[in-house]
Amino acid sequence: MTTVLQVVGLTLTTFGVSFLLIAALGVWRLPDVLSRLHALTKADSAGLALIALGAACLKGRPDSLLVLGLCVVLVALSGVTIGHLIARAHLSEGDLE
Amino acid sequence: MSLAFDILLAFGVVFTAAAALGTHDRVASIAGFVVTGLLVALSLVRLGAPDVALAEAAIGAGLTGALLLRSAWRLKPAESRVSPAIDRIIVALIAVCLSGALAWAVYTAPGAALYPALVSERLAESGVTNPVTAVLLNFRAWDTLLEIAVLFVALILVRIVAPAHPQPVVLGELMLPFARIVVPMCAFLAGHLLWQGASVPGGAFQAGAILAGGLLVLMLGGFAVLTPRLLSWGMMVALLGLAVFAVAALSTEALTGTLLLYPDGAAKIWILMIEAVLTLSIAAMLCLLFCGMPRRPLNDV
Repeated sequence: MTTVLQVVGLTLTTFGVSFLLIAALGVWRLPDVLSRLHALTKADSAGLALIALGAACLKGRPDSLLVLGLCVVLVALSGVTIGHLIARAHLSEGDLE
Repeated sequence: MSLAFDILLAFGVVFTAAAALGTHDRVASIAGFVVTGLLVALSLVRLGAPDVALAEAAIGAGLTGALLLRSAWRLKPAESRVSPAIDRIIVALIAVCLSGALAWAVYTAPGAALYPALVSERLAESGVTNPVTAVLLNFRAWDTLLEIAVLFVALILVRIVAPAHPQPVVLGELMLPFARIVVPMCAFLAGHLLWQGASVPGGAFQAGAILAGGLLVLMLGGFAVLTPRLLSWGMMVALLGLAVFAVAALSTEALTGTLLLYPDGAAKIWILMIEAVLTLSIAAMLCLLFCGMPRRPLNDV
């Protein structure tokens, strides 16, 4: 049971890290603000959720799910809101020009 | 495995700090500063100092970053100019000397090694089981009292300089659901940190900083209108912490004959009362540092 959980945990964490890597690659390589945001916000939330799930599996205790879940919810929430705010600010700057 | 993590972390701190210093864009520089602060907080966790890590993440990275951003908003964009090589060499030399002196002081001072044994010997008398809280609010409560006074002096200075209030701008429809979840959670988390500070890492400073973060969401989102009356109330709450702490110090002097020596067996309730008031007061002070003081027209003074 422990080994199964560990394998599942490591797999999920690896997937999560690769999501974050793709997000970083997107921020680095994509040409403009909106497409960078698109790459960042989605891959970021998904990557963190996968890592948190993996970490909970590695920890092997159900109560760690609560704390990690709270982290994921807060990061996803602020990610969505900040992405929205940045896009808004970018668009209104475009209007001014 | 953890060694690799620590080495990466150390390089990350240096790299983000260099990135923060190397860019000419103020906002990017502040972003670098905040990320450096978060990585420093993570290294403090690795060093086994979760109390300091919490304070660094909440105050050092979070609220200081917000204060810097607020100041950057008032300043003009930075001129991009390269300082002469001789200046940079002098600055580098001063930085190396300072780091060397700090490293020498840390490695030669015996205090760090002596302290834990002394604290754990008398921990049972302190009324709390978290050694950090025991030191901050009991053994060296005097220092904490002075720290609050220093914070208050900073607030008075801001009052004298009288910066412009930040103008709330319309932040869009996502701000309301965000505030609805985050603000109650901040209040809840602040209470949790305050209460658990007696036994595990947490305490008034961290709780106050998180509460202040929640209040800033309300202000910047435009949900709380900063009337002069509200700001005056904030000032009162900010003063309350120092006042209550000072009164507590004087009453312990009267009750036990020693400044900030709590009466036998009642240490926990004294500490909890002081910390609860300090939490509110620190939150008010940090908020007022961010949004400025109430302004009166000249003829009103």
